[in-house]
Parts: sequence; structure tokens; C-alpha cells
Amino acid sequence: MPDDSSRGDFPKGELAKRDARPRSGARYRAAVAGRVVLAIFGSYAVAALATALLSLILPMVRSEAVATATLLSFAILAGAVIWVFAARTLAQAALGLGLPIALLAGGLWLALSVLTPGAPA
Amino acid sequence: MTPSSVALNLALSFAGLAALCLAMDRHHRAILSGAPSRLRAQALRWTGWAGILASFAAAVVTSDWNFGPVQWLGSLTGAALLLVGLVSYRPGWIRPAAFLALPLAAAAALLA
Amino acid sequence: MRNGFRQSMAWLHTWAGLVTGWVMFAVFVSGTATYYRTDISLWMRPELHAGAVDPVQAAERGVAYLKERAPKAVSWFVSVPQEDRPVIGVYWLDTLESPISQAMLDVETGAPTTARATQGGDFLYRFHYQLQMMPLVGRWIVGLCAMVLLVALISGIVTHRRIFADFFTFRRDRSAQRGWLDAHNVTGVLALPFHLMITYTGIVTLGFMFMPWGITTAYKGDGMTFYVEGAQSPSWRPAAGRAGAAQPLAPLIARAQAEVSEPLEMVIVHNPGDANATVVVVFEEPKGLAHHHPQIAFDAVSGAVVERLPAMKPAAHVFTSFLGLHEAHFAGPALRVLFFLCGLMGSATIATGLVLWSVARQPKRGAAPGFGLRLVQGLNIGTILGLPIGIAAFFLANRLLPVALDHRATWEGAVFFGAWLLAALLPLARPHPRAWREMGLLAASLFLAVPVVSAITTHRGFDFLWFDAAMVGLAAVLGFGAHKVSGYTGARPAAAAQSQNKLARA
Repeated sequence: MPDDSSRGDFPKGELAKRDARPRSGARYRAAVAGRVVLAIFGSYAVAALATALLSLILPMVRSEAVATATLLSFAILAGAVIWVFAARTLAQAALGLGLPIALLAGGLWLALSVLTPGAPA
Repeated sequence: MTPSSVALNLALSFAGLAALCLAMDRHHRAILSGAPSRLRAQALRWTGWAGILASFAAAVVTSDWNFGPVQWLGSLTGAALLLVGLVSYRPGWIRPAAFLALPLAAAAALLA
Repeated sequence: MRNGFRQSMAWLHTWAGLVTGWVMFAVFVSGTATYYRTDISLWMRPELHAGAVDPVQAAERGVAYLKERAPKAVSWFVSVPQEDRPVIGVYWLDTLESPISQAMLDVETGAPTTARATQGGDFLYRFHYQLQMMPLVGRWIVGLCAMVLLVALISGIVTHRRIFADFFTFRRDRSAQRGWLDAHNVTGVLALPFHLMITYTGIVTLGFMFMPWGITTAYKGDGMTFYVEGAQSPSWRPAAGRAGAAQPLAPLIARAQAEVSEPLEMVIVHNPGDANATVVVVFEEPKGLAHHHPQIAFDAVSGAVVERLPAMKPAAHVFTSFLGLHEAHFAGPALRVLFFLCGLMGSATIATGLVLWSVARQPKRGAAPGFGLRLVQGLNIGTILGLPIGIAAFFLANRLLPVALDHRATWEGAVFFGAWLLAALLPLARPHPRAWREMGLLAASLFLAVPVVSAITTHRGFDFLWFDAAMVGLAAVLGFGAHKVSGYTGARPAAAAQSQNKLARA
């Protein structure tokens, strides 16, 4: 660890480091705003699509599938948010959400057209 | 989930956590004196984990698998809070308190 | 936004924690109080005395009242008195879409209770999940903040890399910032299982509101069918549209009681007066974590059993266990104390985190704090001390407002928000560190005043000894905490000198 000397306390260590670098500027602010927007809407989209899809395709009675999917959805949501802020760049973060969104949406479209929703599983 | 089973849980958790705390250099120095020998630290660590395990077993036996784990985690938190309070404000009380916790646990076990 | 995972997470933890901290502090405090909701309700209705009653008779009285009061309602709900809730609660829906109406009935007479009008512990309970706003708005705000808190928890765990090494460490003799950081870490880490559990289960409690898409795709949006298939609710029998004479209630309840060993909790009548009317007899939760009540539905006219709620399947069981864990109805007195303690630690984690943010950004001596810091400082004191002041004022209002006052329950709420607002605005006019001490003293005195005022205005002797003890305890915690903050945030040289002295003495 490069900054073990800071003894693991983030405000002291990280803040000191952060204060050393200027972090104002329109560019930085836009990047932060972009991640916040992506975290709110992108992560929700991933979680919502995953819930919708899993509710249809999980191999259990549909009430069980819905309960399982909804229980999991908030973990998926939290994971997606963490990803958005952990990714190196905004583009990488967007790609990391966009790909699953596209896959999930495709899967959902397929599931909706193959299965007849509403019929007891 | 009776009060005595929670008391048993708290006492065992406290004794276990106190041993784990004493197994750490910094706290051993502050609470007793000097760093513990490697053997002593090891013994304290084993005792500590044994206490926490015993606390878990006691919780499951007295409050079954449904509530036992919940009660165990709750009592660990309560005991740890008390311990941290003692470490920072009354370090001298930790050793007597940990030894006192054992007969207390035995008494609670008889009631639970 | 830094390079490196841990730095990114530290950034995320700081800002996610800051923007939701104030709302989540209020949610944690009111939620922690809600562990003692029935006790608070009992305290706030000192005219009522706890005691056993015949539940069947109470249910009949409730239904008799509703027959008069709301004959055209689609559903009646009668919750029978419990030992710690000695009133008959009646609720009704005029249409399926209309908001629920309610009344409290006297156990003996079945007429509206003469006890003072108050929301009791339900006020803090509703505040906990909808902030006393319009339900939809309040719940979304709480839910959004809770999801951000979940993210803050996860990023906080990543950030705090010395969880085990610093497990027992609270260095109160070092710098101010170190003290607050340790306090934040200790309260956060020691109750971490609770924090994670309570946040996730809290979100799940309103999960189908935030994430309805499973029901949308698998049930075409028909939530009712989902609950029926998941064995959480008996199926809905539509009205026939012609009148029918209902069977007497008591024998139906007696037949249900013969099948279920749990105590009776509620009797529901759907489509009362209709030929297709349904009586649902609901029992208390059996021993277990899951929030699942045994229910038996009868045809009200023929008296035949139409449905017995089946056992739940695994996922539904887990789902309802999450709700059960969140509400902790199962907890006996000793375990309840531990839950309460964990709730206080959660509140303290958030409060110390908020204070830490401002302490870490304290300007150098002589420099004026910027707008952002002033704002955070103002919101911190206005929430961390303002909310408790509001709660203490709410309790005092319960004792001091005239019993016959019109809209009395609403006035109690107004006092709560009024006192809170005042307590948030006042400190803005005072120097910051001194404001902490003054408002902390005020909060502590208000809580100390509660048992005194209660003893003068009511004649219940030592019936509420535990409540009084809790008030004194809260006063001590608030007084001590405010004293610490005022010593740390502003008077830096003094604090430094103090710790130097301590070191010298050690």
C-alpha cells in the first residue's frame, strides 16, 4: 500500500491528498455530475431490467421468482452504483452499465415474446 | 430469547472479546503491561474465539436456529460496545470484568 | 473519482454519506424509537390502563361500530386490544382507492375512546418511513436515501481497511478529528451486521414500491394476485351486488380459534352487507422471524370456510423474514434492548460521520468558514440536536395541550415540527461551538422535563418508570455529546491543550 503511513484513516490520508490536487474546474464537475446521473438512472435501469427478466425466467413458481428477483434487485442496484464510481473513467463506467442493459433488455424482449406472461408458471 | 439467555450470551461474548482484545499488542500494552509473548497472544486468541463460539452455541441452544444467530450478533455488538467503553475509559476494569463474566455466564446458564 | 478502488470508495463514502446523512439520521432515530412504539403509545394515552380483555367481544364491538359508522365501506378492519394496546382499533376503506380511515374505541363501551387524541407512537413510526409527507413522496425520499446509505455502507467497509486492527480502538486523547473518526468507526463497525441488515431489510420492506417490475412482467401488474399466490393474503372475493344477511361473528371466530393456537389479532370484513361478504380472521405471528400471520377466510353469509392461508414457499419466507427482522416484533424485552442499542449506534454512526465531515474541513484559525461548511454545520446541529428537541417537545405537548383541544393530534405534530424548525434556526444566530453546547443543554433539559411534567399533569405513579428512565438516559447522552462537539469543533487550541494535559498526566 503506498500510503500505509496514513494508518488507514481515509479522511486524513485521502483528504490531505485530495487537497493537494486542485479538483475544481468545469471538467471535473461535469465528470462527477455524469457519474451521479449514471449511478442513479443507469443502475436503476440495470436493477429494474434484471428484476423484470429474472421474474420471468427463474425456474420456480412465478410468485417465488418475483420474490427472489425483487430481493436480489437491491443488491444488483448497489453493485451497479459501486461499479459506476469505481470505474477508471466515465466512459468505462457507462460502457459497464450499457452492456448489461442491452443484454438484459434483449433477454427481456425475448422472454416476453416466448413466454406468455400472466399464465401461471 | 429469555433475559437470562441474552445475559448468558452477553457474558460469554464479553469474555471472548476481552481475550481477543488483550491478544492485540496495542491493547495488551495499554491494559496490562508490555507486549504479550507470542504464546500468550496465541492462547488469548484461541480463548477469545472459543468464547465467541461458545456464545454462538449458547444462543442457538437457548433460542434455537431461528432467533439464536440474531441474538448472538446483537449480544456481540452490546458486549463489544461495553468493552470499547472500558478500553478507553476504565482499562483497569477489563481483566476483572472478563473473569467476572464467566461465573455470571454460568449463573445465567442455570437460569436459561 | 480518484485513482484506485479504495480512494474512489472513500470519495463515494464521504459524499454519499453527507448528502443523505441528515435524512437517514432522522429515519434512524425515529425507527429506533419505533422499537418501543406501543410503549410510547401507552405513555401518550395515560387515561388508558393496560389489562386483559376478551378479544372476541372486542371484535364484535368494533364491527358493531363500523356497521353504524361506515355501512357502505368495501372493507372493515378491527384490531383487537392487546395487553399493551388497550383500545379497539377500527379502520375502513370507503372504496378500494380511498385512503384508510380509522378510529379508536373504548374497550368497555365500544364507543370512540375518551382518551386524549394523539397519534402516539404511530407518529414516529410513520415519520420513520414517510417523513409525515404525502406517502408517495416521503417513501421515495426515504427509499432513495436508504439506497444511497447502502452504497455508503459498502464503500465505507472498503474504505476502512483496518476493521480488525482497530476493532476495539477509540482514541479520545488524540486530535479532534481522530476522536470523531474513531467514534464513527467504532459505532459503525461494532454494529455493522445490524446496519447492513436494517438498511437492506428496510429497502425490501417497501421493495415492491421501488422495484415493481417483477410484478409488472410476471403478473401484468396485478399485485393482488401476486400476494395471493405467494400465500401472503387470501384471495379477494368480489361483491355480488345484492344484500345478504351475515352470520353472527363470534361463532366464526371461535371456529377459527379452534384451528389456530396463536392469539387473535384482527378481524377483517370485505364487502360487508353483501351476499358475497367475506370475514377474514387474522392471528398473531407464530414464533419465528417471518412476518406472516395465520389467516382463515369465511363466507360471511353461509359461514363456510373459503380459504386457509397456506404455508409460504422458501423465497416468500425469506422475503417476509426480512420484514420480520426489520420490525423485530419477535424480540422479547432483552433482545429488544439490544436492537434499540444497535439503532442508537446507527444514529451515532451517522451523526459522528456528519460531524467528522465538518471537523475535517475546519478552516485554519482566523480564516472564515466557507458557505459549504457553514451550511453543513447548520444542518448538522439542526438535525442532530433539532430532531431530539422536536421529539422532546412532542412528548411535552402530549402532556400540556388541553385534552379537549380541537384537532389535538395534529397540534402535537405541529409542535414537533415547530420545535424542530426553531431548534434548527436558532443556532444559526450563535457562534458555532457555543451553539452546540446551548442546544445540547436545551435538548437535555427538555428530555429531563418530560418525566417531571408528566408526573405533575397525570396521576399514574410509577407506571412509566422505564419511560422516565429512558428520558433521563437520552438527556445524559445528548448533554454529553453536545459537550464533546462544542469542545472539539471550534475551540481547537483549547482541545489541543486539554489532550496535552491528559498526555502529561498519563
